[in-house]
Amino acid sequence: MTASLDEHRRLFEELLFREAALLDSDRFEEWLEMLDDALRYFAPVRATLPRGVENLARPELVAHFDDRKADLAARVRRIRTGWAHAEEPSSRTRHIVANVRVLAMDAKDDTARVASNFIVFRSAGDRDERTFFGTREDTWRKTAGGWRLLERLIILDHNVIESISVFF
Amino acid sequence: MKSATSFDCSELVDLDRKTVSPRVFVEPSLYELEQERVFGHCWLFVGCESQIPEPGDFITNSMGEERVIVTRDTQGEIHVLVNSCRHRASRVCRIDYGNTRSFTCPYHGWTYDIAGKLVGVPRFKEAYDENFDRSEWGLLEVPRVETYRNLIFANFDPQAESLTSYLGNAKWYLDVIFDRTEGGPVALPGVHRWTVRGNWKVNSEQQCGDNYHPDFLHRSVLESGYLDVSEFRGTAPDRRDLEIKCGNGHGFMILTLGYTRNYPAEAVSYEAAVRAAAKRRLTPEQANLVNDGITYVANIFPNLSIIVTLGFASVRVNHPRSPLEHEIWSLTMVDKEAPQTVRDFARDQQNRTFSPSGIFEQDDGEMWMDASQSMRGFYRRRFPLYYGMGAGRGQTRPDRPGLTHPPNTEIGVFGFYERWRELMERGEVPR
Repeated sequence: MTASLDEHRRLFEELLFREAALLDSDRFEEWLEMLDDALRYFAPVRATLPRGVENLARPELVAHFDDRKADLAARVRRIRTGWAHAEEPSSRTRHIVANVRVLAMDAKDDTARVASNFIVFRSAGDRDERTFFGTREDTWRKTAGGWRLLERLIILDHNVIESISVFF
Repeated sequence: MKSATSFDCSELVDLDRKTVSPRVFVEPSLYELEQERVFGHCWLFVGCESQIPEPGDFITNSMGEERVIVTRDTQGEIHVLVNSCRHRASRVCRIDYGNTRSFTCPYHGWTYDIAGKLVGVPRFKEAYDENFDRSEWGLLEVPRVETYRNLIFANFDPQAESLTSYLGNAKWYLDVIFDRTEGGPVALPGVHRWTVRGNWKVNSEQQCGDNYHPDFLHRSVLESGYLDVSEFRGTAPDRRDLEIKCGNGHGFMILTLGYTRNYPAEAVSYEAAVRAAAKRRLTPEQANLVNDGITYVANIFPNLSIIVTLGFASVRVNHPRSPLEHEIWSLTMVDKEAPQTVRDFARDQQNRTFSPSGIFEQDDGEMWMDASQSMRGFYRRRFPLYYGMGAGRGQTRPDRPGLTHPPNTEIGVFGFYERWRELMERGEVPR
């Protein structure tokens, strides 16, 4: 018995909003729990190219992130040392997640492709403010423990970007 | 003619006291002069040949604040063209890379071929008379272009010494990185590009020889288990840690640190094979430095920085954008011969360590911003920074070119400012 499109969207909105709340309240370890052990977390670099030409599919394209769960866990461990100076003292971040679309749901309702847009605002110190815009294409997998993020393609809208010390 | 801005170089960079004035990092007038006096006379890295392998290929880049297009013409020759129409100065190329026969200015349609020659002027016959000679109005071409091991350099100064002579002692060390295999370095697809809100020199000086900061600034990387601290401090039995003041403002560091614990087996055997083969290409002393758990960090004056750990290189330019802002454009390089495992490992390392989100890079950027912004105030600006650590302890050795010194010193770092002062003092060079 498959749920309606509307129900699917509500389900994943709730999941993505919860994820955003964890990232914005220094609960990175709980965020890691939402990630599948087989996760690929990929944010390729962008380029300015003729209309209709996109570089994202170039094999071996370098990336701002091409991490597995273990790499993200290491990033979190690094923040927890208290010596990760770009995030020490910690910044204030706000993840705004919108335009959530369930692109596909497999027949058994246990794998879903979900797109969403984001704005991530980061404020550190007095006026060190950075804003990141982009879109994400996720694959979520249903497990006994709940939905887990299996793939995340992060397409940032920036070409020359600023230093990134936040998660998307 | 006396410059509109007067300044006393002996106060900006004090050769006796080994100090540098904060003014060199923050003052707009010095920044403006620096564009011509430093960036106008040095060999600047503009790309890797592997980015433009075919005729018609091009990339855009910049030399100081000057925007350029690096092209390969139909004969295979490389040109570095100023990306600005000769008519009303708009960019003629507005994308990052591609392949083309010509560049057409979007403003009035002047069209140039891949070598920069003006080949099309709309309504040429009706609009212009015999006073206008098209052959004189090609794109401005940077007069000197030379390559070293697939790395393309260009120089605005027609009188400049050759690239080999400019690299000087640094070339011996660069050969260890870039001449260890027949194929030389090639760039993986894509360029990491990001902004740092700090002066470009704060970045470049660090790569020149600041072996003092890593175990403090990067303590989080050590404590979170990414590296073995004993490796990092150069306490391994075969201690080769060395800093080199190469002359001409270039600095080089050798650190016994190799990320060996994460390295895939296939990559270890590849590196061993490269080391063996390198003995046929390099001198025994150079071959002895090929990899084997070694990290190299270098800055080729003024703003080409090179960070190399096992089998990959971050080859990056610290492009000035304003006194308190620079952009880092970084290529990930591997040997042309590197197997897929090594390419993948190199890419992973680069993405995680020295990209805009890199676990080292994030904290470096934070300091470059913080240090630069902290020197804006008039009062702080009056008091110089000290660069005299280890001064006088440099040694000349028969087996290593340049002035060498075990860490930690600031000999190489101060060498960067000695060269900067020399160029700034020299003033305008007649054209």
